[in-house]
Amino acid sequence: MPRRKVSIIGAGNVGATAAYYVAEKVIADIVMVDVVEGMTQAKALDFLHAGPMRRYDVSIRGTGDFSEITESDVVVITAGLPRKTGMDRMDLLKVNAEIVKSASKKIAQHAPNSTVIVVSNPLDVMCHVAFRTTGFAVHRVVGMAGILDSTRFRYFAARELGCALTDVHAMVLGGHGDQMVPLPRFTTVAGIPITELLDKSAIDRMVDRTRKGGAEIVEYLKTGSAYYAPAASVAEMVEAIITDRKTLAPCACYLRGEYGIEDLFIGVPVLLGRNGIERIIELDLEKEELDQLKESANAVRKGVEDLDTFFSVR
Amino acid sequence: MKRVGIIGSGNVGANSAFFIAENRTASVTLVDVKEGLSVGKALDISEAGPIRRYDTDIRGGSDVNGIRNCDIVVIAAGRVRAPDQSRDDLYRDNSRLMIQVCEDVKRLAPGSVVINVAEPVDMITLLAQKCLGFDRMRVLGVGGLLSSTRLRYLVSNSLGVSPRDVTGMVIGPHRPSMVFLRDTIRVSGIPAVKLLPAEKLDSIVDEVRKAGDAILQMAQRSTSYYAPSAAVAALVEAIVRDTKAMMPVSVRLQGEYGLDGIAVSVPAQIGEKGAEKIISVKMSREEQKAFVDAANDLRDSLSRVTS
Repeated sequence: MPRRKVSIIGAGNVGATAAYYVAEKVIADIVMVDVVEGMTQAKALDFLHAGPMRRYDVSIRGTGDFSEITESDVVVITAGLPRKTGMDRMDLLKVNAEIVKSASKKIAQHAPNSTVIVVSNPLDVMCHVAFRTTGFAVHRVVGMAGILDSTRFRYFAARELGCALTDVHAMVLGGHGDQMVPLPRFTTVAGIPITELLDKSAIDRMVDRTRKGGAEIVEYLKTGSAYYAPAASVAEMVEAIITDRKTLAPCACYLRGEYGIEDLFIGVPVLLGRNGIERIIELDLEKEELDQLKESANAVRKGVEDLDTFFSVR
Repeated sequence: MKRVGIIGSGNVGANSAFFIAENRTASVTLVDVKEGLSVGKALDISEAGPIRRYDTDIRGGSDVNGIRNCDIVVIAAGRVRAPDQSRDDLYRDNSRLMIQVCEDVKRLAPGSVVINVAEPVDMITLLAQKCLGFDRMRVLGVGGLLSSTRLRYLVSNSLGVSPRDVTGMVIGPHRPSMVFLRDTIRVSGIPAVKLLPAEKLDSIVDEVRKAGDAILQMAQRSTSYYAPSAAVAALVEAIVRDTKAMMPVSVRLQGEYGLDGIAVSVPAQIGEKGAEKIISVKMSREEQKAFVDAANDLRDSLSRVTS
């Protein structure tokens, strides 16, 4: 069996930490690509130096040359700017759409058989950029959002209950933003819904904290945003695809009628395996949950409409 | 490093030591009346260490003093059920040995948490708790946890999803009348009934009920031991690392689930003190009835073997 290969575009905190988590899993060789060249090589070398102690023996390369992503099984796009003060949403959308478009073109050119994981924000809209630009089949473009929102929800639930982290599963659907849709009745401890174990006010508190999970970290850091949990989420998705694990988890995926939503990337439960998104799971949502999902979809659609005012694939 | 003493170096005892070594959770002493068996298996496991990358201290011997002051004692001694042997007869075969073992444990490792794998597990767990005189939450039997891992595997296999994503708890007595908490059978939180036809789930449940017997029939004079050993190692890890993991374990009940004076599997949070908290789970009317019937069935067995 040939060695598997994962490329990560953007070697900032999320990209580099994702490379580290993937290296520790010892499942694939890694290429980090960044326009800031010296930093990429330095981080790759630093990871390699830690290998003898951390016991991974995969190849890790840092480069500015996109052609090195050739034959990647998975390509992760983390490139993009964080929102800076004074920058409005539209400005950020324009800048990042350009970055993701440029990366997507290179992916289509050098790694035409890969599965693409989009991490850049605003996430759901950037998935549209990558999807349109690469021209890849729908199951091979997937956005990282729901897994991250769910791991935060899982963490909060485990702390609240004083139970083992690994016993908690959670489902957070919708767009990756304030209007995400955490689903407490599908959030369980060893299969027991938390709605049986916690009262409503505790659950509401956790839901609220999950929605603001990213912002809470930004408040502490002031000048940066979260990257450990996002990178761990990326690595989980990479592993599911590389090892054909068939993980059921919420990811941003292109819907064509599922949940009554047409032609839009949004977070829903999917099965991740060798072929990327292998199945979309349609849950029987209650009216309130479905309304929340629709509302979240509308917010994403607004972003896509903004994108359409200026974006062209060429 | 915490220490685990395992009494009985047969397939379950030795494989428990092996899984514990791979988990790097505790050092292990295997004790068996057949000295060569303990020493040989301990050495074999230790010699795999350089390749498997563990450096856990695993030793073996015939002297029961080897379990002195262990933090956890695993009872994996006794006979396994022969094909066509009844559980009552197996209890009669094993109970005398268990009383002896418990006297040793009480004397040598009075502060330990005890994990019982000897069959019939609920009856022996109750007997052990009485003989040891330990707090009931420190004497745990491997029953529901084993059926649960079988259930989770079969569901994942049937759906083509990762077994890691699948939850599901089996409680009650460790016999074919065991009780399946249907609502806990889920994939990443999504109820399995939404993903799998009801008949398929029914056939899986049926397969789990009969799993022990099926393996016994297939292998004749041997019973299953990989999954039971994995259950032991999971309990050891939860205790040593104080994880508060939720697992169904057999424990003597005092009013929980409406039962008193018998041990059956119920969901509990496992930590350094053993079963630290028994969780009562909402059951459907049918599940509740099945649970009471199964408990009565076990009680009948108990009165037969003690009369």
